[in-house]
Amino acid sequence: MNKTILDYSLKIRVPITVFVAALTFTLTYFLSRPERDGIGYAPPQPIPFSHKLHAGEMAIDCQYCHTGVTESRHALIPATSVCMNCHTVARKNKEAIVRLTEYHGEGKPLEWKRIHRVPDFAYFNHSVHVNKGIECAGCHGEVKDMDVIRQVSSFTMGSCLNCHREVHQRFPDLKGVNTGPEHCFACHR
Amino acid sequence: MSRTEETRYWRSLRDLADHPEVAQLKSNEFLAGVTDESDVADLSPVSRRTFLALLSASAAFAAASCTNYRDKGEVVPYNKQPEEITIGKANYYASTCTGCSANCGILIKTREGRPVKVDGNPDHPVNAGKLCVRGQASVLDLYDPQRLRTPQFKGSGGGFAEGSWEEADRTIMSQLAKTAAEGKEIALVTHTVTSPTFRKVLDAFMARYPSSRTYSYELFSDRFRSNAWIRSYGSNGAPVIRWEAARTLLLLEADVLATEGDVLEQIRSITKNRDMNDPRHFSRIWVAEAGLSLTGMNADHRIRLKPGAQFEFVMGLIHEVAQRRKLSAISPETSVVEAIGQYPLAQVVARHRLPAHLVEGLVNGLVSHRGESIVFAGSTLPEEVHTAVILLNEVLGNTGLYDQRVSRVQYSSEATMEDWVLLVQKMREGKIGAIVHVDANPAYHLPQELRYAEAAQRVPAIVTLTQRENESSVISTIVLPINHAFESWGDFKTRTGQFSLQQPVIEPLYATRQKEAILLHWASGSTTQPDASSYHRYLKKRWEEEVYPSIKSPVAFSRFWHAALHDGLLLHSEKPIARGQFIINADWLQPLWRETDQFTVLVRPSQNVGDGRYAENGWLQEIPHPVSKVVWDNYAAVAPQTAKSLGVENNDIIDIRAGERRLQIPVFVQPGTAEDAVVIEHGYGRRTAGPVGTDVGFDVGSLMPVEIRSTPYIFSAAVTKGSGSYELVSTQEHHALDDAFVKDLHLKRKIIREGSVAQYLNTPDFIQKGRHEPESITKILEYDGVKWAMAIDLNKCIGCTACVASCVAENNIPVVGKEQVELGREMQWIRIDRYYSGTPEDPVVSNQPMLCQHCDHAPCENVCPVAATNHSPDGLNQMAYNRCVGTRYCSNNCPYKVRRFNFLDFRNDFADGIYAEEPMSALYNPEVTVRSRGVMEKCTFCIQRIMEARQVAAEEGREIRGSDVVTACQQACPADAIVFGDMNDPQSKVSHYRAHNLGYHVLEEINVRPNVTYMAKLRNRQTENPA
Repeated sequence: MNKTILDYSLKIRVPITVFVAALTFTLTYFLSRPERDGIGYAPPQPIPFSHKLHAGEMAIDCQYCHTGVTESRHALIPATSVCMNCHTVARKNKEAIVRLTEYHGEGKPLEWKRIHRVPDFAYFNHSVHVNKGIECAGCHGEVKDMDVIRQVSSFTMGSCLNCHREVHQRFPDLKGVNTGPEHCFACHR
Repeated sequence: MSRTEETRYWRSLRDLADHPEVAQLKSNEFLAGVTDESDVADLSPVSRRTFLALLSASAAFAAASCTNYRDKGEVVPYNKQPEEITIGKANYYASTCTGCSANCGILIKTREGRPVKVDGNPDHPVNAGKLCVRGQASVLDLYDPQRLRTPQFKGSGGGFAEGSWEEADRTIMSQLAKTAAEGKEIALVTHTVTSPTFRKVLDAFMARYPSSRTYSYELFSDRFRSNAWIRSYGSNGAPVIRWEAARTLLLLEADVLATEGDVLEQIRSITKNRDMNDPRHFSRIWVAEAGLSLTGMNADHRIRLKPGAQFEFVMGLIHEVAQRRKLSAISPETSVVEAIGQYPLAQVVARHRLPAHLVEGLVNGLVSHRGESIVFAGSTLPEEVHTAVILLNEVLGNTGLYDQRVSRVQYSSEATMEDWVLLVQKMREGKIGAIVHVDANPAYHLPQELRYAEAAQRVPAIVTLTQRENESSVISTIVLPINHAFESWGDFKTRTGQFSLQQPVIEPLYATRQKEAILLHWASGSTTQPDASSYHRYLKKRWEEEVYPSIKSPVAFSRFWHAALHDGLLLHSEKPIARGQFIINADWLQPLWRETDQFTVLVRPSQNVGDGRYAENGWLQEIPHPVSKVVWDNYAAVAPQTAKSLGVENNDIIDIRAGERRLQIPVFVQPGTAEDAVVIEHGYGRRTAGPVGTDVGFDVGSLMPVEIRSTPYIFSAAVTKGSGSYELVSTQEHHALDDAFVKDLHLKRKIIREGSVAQYLNTPDFIQKGRHEPESITKILEYDGVKWAMAIDLNKCIGCTACVASCVAENNIPVVGKEQVELGREMQWIRIDRYYSGTPEDPVVSNQPMLCQHCDHAPCENVCPVAATNHSPDGLNQMAYNRCVGTRYCSNNCPYKVRRFNFLDFRNDFADGIYAEEPMSALYNPEVTVRSRGVMEKCTFCIQRIMEARQVAAEEGREIRGSDVVTACQQACPADAIVFGDMNDPQSKVSHYRAHNLGYHVLEEINVRPNVTYMAKLRNRQTENPA
């Protein structure tokens, strides 16, 4: 059997091309995945609020500001008036606090950049998770160590389901909790 | 005798006649033409090649220009946190519905400050937590993009220009002052006044402008009943009736379950005596009417009677009852006895060819249940009928059913037709200096023959206070926009001992004021502009000075006031107006009107659009008529035999002439209509209503008489076949349950099962005898934990469609429009199927709400190629919209025909996208996805409410209970026919219903194991139960 160009192509070139293409795709897919899922997203905020300072060093409870987390499906970004509970007195000469006071005084909307978001057709509910004993850090990471708030976990349907299935492995201390629901109506309606 | 074994049910007359087209329709899931809209000429001129080029170019540009694909937008918190709002949780506020003069108590659900849903206030004594279709739909009017936003001034060219409130107030107040100085009349046109504080405002206005006069009216009021009552008993207004105490009810042309009086209270009390668990106390409902009404559909016996024969019929009954029971109880004068003596029942029966055995049974029933029966005449009937009915109730000793603890209260006397004629005459003569239309639309409501709009040209100043443009605003010089009811303050009193309060739940969306505040400002004569809370202060002050002292409350006023506002009502003890001594005079028992032509026209109010004020409401236009299932139109209902003699069929135009008055209107052949009667609903044919309501249906105003012998709603007319036809669209033959190819077998399908009370008492399990127990070849999945199920009691369901309206509001269901309904694309998740059996002349009607049955073995699930619909562990048939690719296989495979497909993005498609405009997006329930084109949808058993209950259970650290969830349809049902809960809980009501002797499933033999149980209807017919 003579070695022909065709033979060469079929045996060497095509497999190599296919292999390289598949490898590139697979590598790109997995390497870019956190980027695509938004992990590490930490845009500059209109007020350089530091969770590390407030939640970490001063150990203010998450729920002092995120009041909706046990009763509503939204955790809630605190109203500007909540900041002013302290900042009418505390550090009121700092540049950022001066701007904050302006927002509050003039009734201007304070537009925080959104970090965590699930699509509109998914109805995530904070209060159910928190009331079952899931820690905030379980999804949001160690916020109290972050100077600039950033996304640490993926919020895709796959991530939700993984956690629902492996709840006991992920939260070994959690007692009396079933695995999370996996049916459509649990999140979509 | 079981009706189900021998009765043949038919959905329409064509169906009864085995029309081949109907058979075809029933075998197809989608109507012909539902998918053909692709004409090559209509296709885009862009070729595939160009399209691909554009696609790749735009993708390249997008990739190149996409600087921050990770951007997720902003979150904007409140600046100052409102105390009572938690984002994501609903707030409820008690208020009062102002859709009609019943003034039911409502609870308005708001999300983040936006009203999204209205339900009844459970504490309110009249509606007890329920709300009718119109009340449910009133939230749509708040966000209607057609609302006026600023004052409008008529220019010299006839068009309107925007202006300011200062300018409007200045102009109007100087005009009013000038008119008053000249001594010319100022006409204030209002609807019936039910608010004591608004009455005070009107009085203050009239004190400032002494030449003013109020004209209060309702298109359909109960003035004839009131007048007869005042004449007979000398006291104020008709009584409140204790319907729940009535064992035998005779309703004469009275649609008490749909349009007449305090409908929700009547539905509740009448259906209370249709309890399947208490069959010995079933009431027997008799109806005598011309057109088949919602009440007529639910009667045990229905007698077809032309409106002109009602008087003789009642007199005949009095005659017969008096013979059996002696008149000594009321000792009438001989002249009265003589008047009654002219109407021997046998003669009346023979003259009007009434079914003698039924009338005999009726008399027996009335006499044997004397003291526990009630005869009630509809408000369209003339005064003499009401007088005769009062006499009949006296003779039967039924006066105990008039509620002694409470009486009706009135704050305005009604303008009569003579008043209107005089007003129009004065307008023509230039004696009227100004007219103020206070949220009233006389240019549409008054008979066209009166030529109100024409006479208005001679009036120098016409001011209309309205939410949106109407027939009266276009003839005005100044149009002032007013608040929606949800933006207004108010108090209402329709009965002694009951105040109902109205509070705003949202700031006015536009530069509007409430009508009371506008009149109050003019009455004050002040030159400074009033602030937004002027009427609030006025109301509160009146309560502090007048109401609070009279109540003798032990708490301070501010607490008293806030408690009343919180509850939405104030109940206190107040002495009712006592009924006077009964008197009767033979002169009152003379018929003032007799038929002068072969045909009699009866004009009735519409359940959905009311007197026309809801014509601009797309939800109400699209909810099918409870009897005919026609949408987006009114029509002339005639009997099949009358249609035959006129030579017309459905959709043919007929020409109705009464003297000079004339109307051309399409025919709808309605089984059960009295011969030679033409029944038309008012409220349609609005000439100026907005893009939704203008020219929908036909205006009966052109036919209404000015010269009235006894009642304006009933008159003789000549009817001939007209030329042409008009397409009426009904949902009647859509979504037919598939039974055509087994026509002879369809009696065995037992979609409707029913029997009689007597049969049930003899054999309680008679329904169960015919039931199949299908063998399953697959393993039946066991559900542990909660499993959701519904039961619908067909003994209670009257088919009023309140559930449909509630579902539409709760689940963001779009309006599709008449053309789309015609193609079979209506979107409502729950429909009321209506089946006829018997003859076309005297049909027997069965109603059945049909919604997704959430079958355990759901046929839709097996065929979905992408598993977008499947089963949840709590027994729900779930639908994931974001997964659906729109193959419509599921709908094709659904035996109940309850799936709905978004053929278009209906919000953009309907009426040039009016419902896609702002602020409509604020109306949507944020807990339910707004579906777009190409997606299948259906009833979810209100999954958002189930999930909310789960959230509350998790918060309280317990498992969810079946009783935690109330679905939207269940909440709305005025008869409490719908039960929802956990069928795995043996104590739950729904599992009792499922195990009940009368429970059955529709199409259970196909073994889809549906989770909606229907409770078979029992009829209390006299031939079967002669007790």
